[in-house]
Amino acid sequence: MKHVRDIMERFGIPEEVFKRLAAIEAQDTVFVGTPEVMKFTAVRPMRCGIRLCRLFPYSVKPTSFAMQVLGRHATRNIIDLSDEQTRSIINGNELRVEAEADNGFVLLRWHEFVIGVGLYRKPVLKSQIPRFRSVEEPGSD
Amino acid sequence: MSGLGRRFPAAFIDRYSRLMPDFDAFLEAMQRPLRRTFRVNTLKTSRARALELLADLEPEPLPWCDVGFVLDRGEGVGLRIEHFIGLIYVQEAASMIPPLVLEPRPGERVLDLAAAPGSKTTQMAAMMENQGLVIANDQSAGRVRGLIGNVDRAGCLNTVVCRMDGGVLARAVAGSCDRVLVDAPCSSEGTIRKSAEALDRWSPDASRKFAGLQKRLILAGYEALRPGGVMVYSTCTMAPAENEAVVADLLRRRPDALVREAGLPGLKMRPGLTSWDGEDLPEAVGRCRRVLPQDNDTEPFFVTLIQRPGHEAR
Repeated sequence: MKHVRDIMERFGIPEEVFKRLAAIEAQDTVFVGTPEVMKFTAVRPMRCGIRLCRLFPYSVKPTSFAMQVLGRHATRNIIDLSDEQTRSIINGNELRVEAEADNGFVLLRWHEFVIGVGLYRKPVLKSQIPRFRSVEEPGSD
Repeated sequence: MSGLGRRFPAAFIDRYSRLMPDFDAFLEAMQRPLRRTFRVNTLKTSRARALELLADLEPEPLPWCDVGFVLDRGEGVGLRIEHFIGLIYVQEAASMIPPLVLEPRPGERVLDLAAAPGSKTTQMAAMMENQGLVIANDQSAGRVRGLIGNVDRAGCLNTVVCRMDGGVLARAVAGSCDRVLVDAPCSSEGTIRKSAEALDRWSPDASRKFAGLQKRLILAGYEALRPGGVMVYSTCTMAPAENEAVVADLLRRRPDALVREAGLPGLKMRPGLTSWDGEDLPEAVGRCRRVLPQDNDTEPFFVTLIQRPGHEAR
């Protein structure tokens, strides 16, 4: 699928990662999961696997949840963050960083873990991670 | 005892003083707050790496679950980055038991009939190493949203989420599932340890509200099994009407169902009751298992392993 290839290309994710997975496109979203998930037709599920990306007229936006699992093998367009930067960006703050990454969607990495997707316009980095909950920042209760 | 009597309704004391072994120890354990526990999500990290990152919290391993840990200083663990990105899942210790007894394996087809909020779904997806298929269902729209959120956060690529009547879903997948989990909606007596309101809501009649649904779900789950497949029926309540009586009802409707003895090394479990409300229950019901709060310092739990005759499980 073209959108999967686009994401692999953007982040340098090896083909091997998607080899045992399948993807389907439904409306403006691509879902990724095991072949068994995608072949399940006994009933109509609300959700199959994880959202891989949202499709917009001029761009493909990878999701943070999919990248947390599949992005661990990525080799480019990754920005490494300190503990403090990680807490700050998860809580919705913009960062200013100089990084070796192209403008556009990037993977945000804390230690060896991809925490989600960011939008980079040098030097401004904005979080694209869903803010369904926050994390503790130094000094907070 | 008078202090305890003031806190627990008389009908509660009356019922469980007759049913519960070591009643004083039971009552004392029920008054202690629950310890905070979590499970390492092996879909995202290893046990060793999670322990390294959380070393400041000094997690203590649970004896019966190699990825389960207790925190004595667990406040704020839900606000940690490790939790936010799904490296760990805050989950009550007893709630980790049903998937461990069910033992789902990579590549299998597993049905989780009452799945929300997803603790056990995500635990099973991890045990299956993100392979095969977990069909996670819940009938409530609100609860399904939480389930999807947890499936996303845990990174479960092998899971479909459905929102439908459990009986209808089980008929649609009849005879095809290697394993089925029926962690049934219940009167939740087990939550008394973490919520004073749960005790305020307690009523000796609460079980009546759930027993009908539980009997439908256990039967539906059984019909979904392939020959030789196994099912776990579990609740977080102690009421026999929601536990042994439900299993007895399945055995009456499906006399071929086999109750297997469940056991986990390091976890003390007690046999199911073989009589209740003046009635003798089938002998096989004695192979059900009760997890009591005074034995393992957990919520009380009930768990039963049932097999459909036929080929052995894969």
